[in-house]
Formats: sequence, C-alpha cells, structure tokens
Amino acid sequence: MTAADAVAGERSQLTIPPRPRTWPRAAAIVAALAAFTILTTIPAIGGVELDFASIARNWTNGADRIVQMLTPDWSILPRTWQPLLETLEMALVDAAISAVLAVPLSLWAARPTNPNGVARRAVRFVLNVVRAVPDLVYATVLVAMVGVGTLPGIITLVLFDIGIVVKLVSEAIDSADAHYMEAGRAAGGTQTQINRVTALPQSWPAIASQVLYSLELNVRISAILGLVGAGGIGRLIDEMRGFYRYDALGTIVLEILVVVIAIEVASNLLRKRLR
Amino acid sequence: MDNTAATQRPEAGDHASPASGPWPITLDDVTVRYPNGVVAMKNVSLEIGAGEMVAVVGLSGSGKSTMIRTINGLVTPTAGTVTVGPHRISRLKGAALRRARGDIGMIFQSFNLADRTSVYRNAMVGRFSHTPTWRTLLGLTTAEDRDIVMRALDSVGMLEKVWHRAGALSGGQKQRVAIARALAQQPAVMLADEPVASLDPPTAHSVMADLADINADRGLTVLVNLHLMDLARQYTTRMIGLRAGEVVYDGPAASATDADFEQIYGRPVQQRDRLGQQ
Repeated sequence: MTAADAVAGERSQLTIPPRPRTWPRAAAIVAALAAFTILTTIPAIGGVELDFASIARNWTNGADRIVQMLTPDWSILPRTWQPLLETLEMALVDAAISAVLAVPLSLWAARPTNPNGVARRAVRFVLNVVRAVPDLVYATVLVAMVGVGTLPGIITLVLFDIGIVVKLVSEAIDSADAHYMEAGRAAGGTQTQINRVTALPQSWPAIASQVLYSLELNVRISAILGLVGAGGIGRLIDEMRGFYRYDALGTIVLEILVVVIAIEVASNLLRKRLR
Repeated sequence: MDNTAATQRPEAGDHASPASGPWPITLDDVTVRYPNGVVAMKNVSLEIGAGEMVAVVGLSGSGKSTMIRTINGLVTPTAGTVTVGPHRISRLKGAALRRARGDIGMIFQSFNLADRTSVYRNAMVGRFSHTPTWRTLLGLTTAEDRDIVMRALDSVGMLEKVWHRAGALSGGQKQRVAIARALAQQPAVMLADEPVASLDPPTAHSVMADLADINADRGLTVLVNLHLMDLARQYTTRMIGLRAGEVVYDGPAASATDADFEQIYGRPVQQRDRLGQQ
C-alpha cells in the first residue's frame, strides 16, 4: 500500500469536529463599531458636526498657501541654523534628564519590580496626572513662571517624556518574564537589590528604545512649543506664520523632516545593537 | 570580615561568615491552602537530618514544588511550622526571613537567571543577604564577595564564562551558574526544584552528580524535587513520595521498588518515568 493509499484509507475514518462558526460574532462586532462611529457624527444626539462639503467650498483659500509651501524659499536657511540647533540641544538634554528620572520611576510603577500595591498605585496616579496635562498648558504656565526662553521648553518636554517613557517601560516590565526575581528572593535579597542587579539590565532594551522614541518626539513638539515662547525652531515658525511667509515655512518643515528621519535612522541602528 | 567566625550561630551577629555546618529540616503538621482553595499540602510532618541527601518524588501537582518553597519561606504555610537549623521559617518575616533565606540555597527548573546580564552579576545575587542594600544599589562589591563568587563559579567549572552573558549559555551551563549562585550564599541547606527537568539526559546526569558532590564534599543537607524514579534511586539516599499533598512513601531511595513508585504516582510505572542511563 502506498502512502497515498494509506492517507485515503484514513480519510474515510476521520471524524472532524464541527468547525465553530465565528463570523457572525466578528460581523456583529464590526457592525457595532461602525454604528458607534456614525452616531458620534450626528450633532442632533450630541455628536460632532462634520461638514465635508466645506472642503469643496473653501479648499481654494488654502491652496495658494500649499503652493507657496511647495516652493520653499531657501533664503531663510541661514536664519534657521541657530534655532534648529537649539531645538536639537533641547531634545537631547530632555531625553537625557527624562531617562535618568524614568529609570527608578518605571521600576516603581511596574508590578514585578514593586510588589507594594499602595506605592505602585501612588506612582502611577501621579504619572497619570502628569500625562493628563497637555504640553502646551505646561509650556504656557512655565513661560509665565520662569520667563520666555529654552528653560520652560526643557521642563515641559521632561514632564512630557517622563509620562510616556515610564508608562511604556513599566508596561514592558509588567509583561516580561520575571522568573529571575524568584531566585533573588530565594537568596534573601531585598526588592531594591533584585531590581538593581537583575531587573535593571533585563529592562535596558525597553528603556533605551522608549528614550530614543522620546528624542524624536521632542524635536516635533518643540516646533509647537515655540508658539508660546518656549524656545527652539517653533519661535521662527511662529514668526514666519505671522508674516504669511509660507514659502519660508516650507523650508523649515523640510528641515524638521530631515532631522526627524536622521534621528529615526540613528535610533534604529542603536536599537539593533541593543538586542 | 573574619572567616573564623564560622562557628558562630547566624543570630549571634557576623553574617558574612558561612552558615555553620549542615542543618536539619523539620516540617511539623504543615498544611498549605492557596487563596484559590487548592490544598497543596495536607498535614505533612517530616524530619530531615543534617547532611542528608533526599529526593522528593511525585507527579506534577503532587505538592512537591510547594513543599520545597515552604522551606525557604517563598510559600507560607496556612498551618504548622517549618524549622531549618536555628530558623523557625514559618514565623519569620522581613529582614529576619531574608537572613534565613541567605543560609538556604535554591536552584530551579528554569534556572531563573537574568539572561541579559553577566554570569558574574548573576552569581553575585547569591551575596544579597550578606550585603547592605545601599552597597548593592551603588554597585559596590567587597573583595571577599568577589572571591566567594569566583570560587563558587570555579567549583562548578564555569569560571571561564564569568564575563559572558548568562543568556548566551547552554541549559546545562545555566544550571551550573545557578548552582554557583546558590553556593555563593555559603548555605547550610541546598534546595533544588526539578533541577534537571529542562535538560537533556547526559547534562541531567552531570547536574545530579554536581548536587551529590555538594552533599558529599561540602556536607550540605540537599533536598531535590524529581519526577524520574531512576534519578532518585541513583543519586539520593532517602526518598519521600508525595501524592495529592500527602506523604505516601518515606524510605531508602536505592531499594525503592516499582510498586513503591506506583503507589507514589497512583498509576502503573511508564517508560517516561525513567530518564535512562548515562
């Protein structure tokens, strides 16, 4: 008997259990999500008003600005070097400060590295508050408190970065395998000793990865923070916008794009080496 | 630190000294009921003499993992007392419990190493209970601790790999590092929870031989959880059989019959209950 015959012989005897019908459930979930989305756009029941027709009516108003941005005025370049450098310096200083602060906070905010529920929830609550405040609000208040310049921008970005880095890193620690903790406990170690010698090196890739991501975010956000006088390239953006110099804005946007891509390439290289 | 203080009892003060000789282990009417209602140990009473080499045999779910964890306080008994040498483990908490754990080494089925850091730092974990937290936090190690760790790694043949990443080692090498970590504690008792269940047969035999050497040469009391009958017969002198949280066998390991194992397993002996010869 050949192998094919054997398979054919077996096939007649197989009793395949009935395949569960999952598509009605999937279809119901998709339908519910679609219905919910549509409901949020009906103003009569408190939804948002979406007037797509206004795009057709008004698009010509913005079109000339887009055309201007697409024909960048390179003569602005010499004026951008200094603020762009300032933005990069701010981004780097912020990422460094927030990395130093985020390491202990991440370990305190994760369950395996901080079994004390009360302390862990306290850290998480404070960080939720920090994240809930929009970065522009931090910047506006801080400009009023410490004056116009890079300092309010730096403090704003540190608060913003800590919120993100600690959340993502502590979630990574929560979901990572933590068998090595049991060995530390069995050897009579305190939680601090276990965290310092084993949990910290185990968490390095997550920490480094999120700090690099925050570096990239810092460059983008500092473009907005300039609007309220918190330093960096944003100050120049605000000025050009005030003079309707959209051709100059086009140049600045391209510059930011180049910087963000450069950071991404660099951080991808670093991440690869960390694995 | 003065190593001649080895004759002192641990509660007498100097804790950098090795624990004083092998210790007996006593379980008195120990019951463990988990919060989900599962009773993992039922009224278990045992006397294990100082320097004995004991196998705890049972199928998974028999309570042997729970039992070994009551001995170093990773699991707290619902009722009964656990005594190891001078420590009344089941009553200890906080710093006193950590000190007692420092005198009890433990190795695990899944090795429990921090894979991303060096063999050296993993072995340093064994010095935790002898080191103030602030020193560990600042990364300060004493020359004596380094010496203890290096000698422990050397005794299991892993000194060559001291600066390698733990994650880059093979299973057998990882378990040897884990044994070195436990030996760096300079313990009086060594616990092993299914230490060879993740290893291939030749490596399993050599790790079992390492544990037998620790018992013979260093005179430590060794308690090892196993589910394979031939390993228990070959490497240990006394066997305790657990089934559904109760002791169903307690006697010499070498002369335990297949019938004894069938009583422990609660079913006929099968091929997979043996590892096979070296």
